[in-house]
Amino acid sequence: MNWAGVVFGASAAVALLGALGAVGLKSIFHNILCFALTMFGVAGVFLSLGSDFLAVVFVLVYVGAVAIAMVYAVMLSYPLDLPPQPRNRWKIAGAALFAAVGAAAIWTVLRRVSWPPWEGRLDVSAATTGTRFLRDYVLAFELISVLLVVAMMGAMMVARRIRASGEGR
Amino acid sequence: MNLHAYLITSTLLFGIGLYGLLQRRSLVAMLIALELMLAAVSINVVALTTLTGHDAAIGQVVALILVGVAASETAVALSLFVAIHRASHSIDVESLSELKG
Repeated sequence: MNWAGVVFGASAAVALLGALGAVGLKSIFHNILCFALTMFGVAGVFLSLGSDFLAVVFVLVYVGAVAIAMVYAVMLSYPLDLPPQPRNRWKIAGAALFAAVGAAAIWTVLRRVSWPPWEGRLDVSAATTGTRFLRDYVLAFELISVLLVVAMMGAMMVARRIRASGEGR
Repeated sequence: MNLHAYLITSTLLFGIGLYGLLQRRSLVAMLIALELMLAAVSINVVALTTLTGHDAAIGQVVALILVGVAASETAVALSLFVAIHRASHSIDVESLSELKG
């Protein structure tokens, strides 16, 4: 077993366990912590594929930004002092059934395709990715930056407290 | 590592995310489940482009675009949750029935 296999096994286990905690635990705060753990695991999976830049981006964006933003949103909007309501058994069963059927369908499709075998090593370093991004896919790059600006401004507008004068509510 | 291990991991992660999206009642928990599904898609894209020898840079670019889209989606969604909580004092989807006919 080589190092990539060890890294993959460990981080896939961390990612899946974290994902189970992120949807299964009752406290929303534990969900967010498990979500951050999952994203560490996903970053490890990317490391085992050799894409180190993507792994760093995942840790930075998801653990560093998204999870923190979720904690802020929970503190601003969630009634943490109230006891959690009991869950509906039928909803759990239905959701589990639907998710199992969906995952099984995806897996059937993925397994039926014969992917071409490949034993080489591709260059997925940060330098190559950056060069390709700014040369071949520069339109996508610019669109993402426009989308981020618009989303941030929209988020500020939506979350802004509307001040009196009969405007809004 | 062989490709199937990665595909199994991403399929399981996607299934867990789908289950959470359907089963949870809190909007923040549903957003977390949605992010899990997006991460599963990223794993799939990167593994398929890296391990089938086609063009690995495309996988990296698509995954980075996915990260950007997911980050902006999270920002807008969280601000909407705060606004919804301000309006109705709840972010439980089963009590958000104001537009129900």
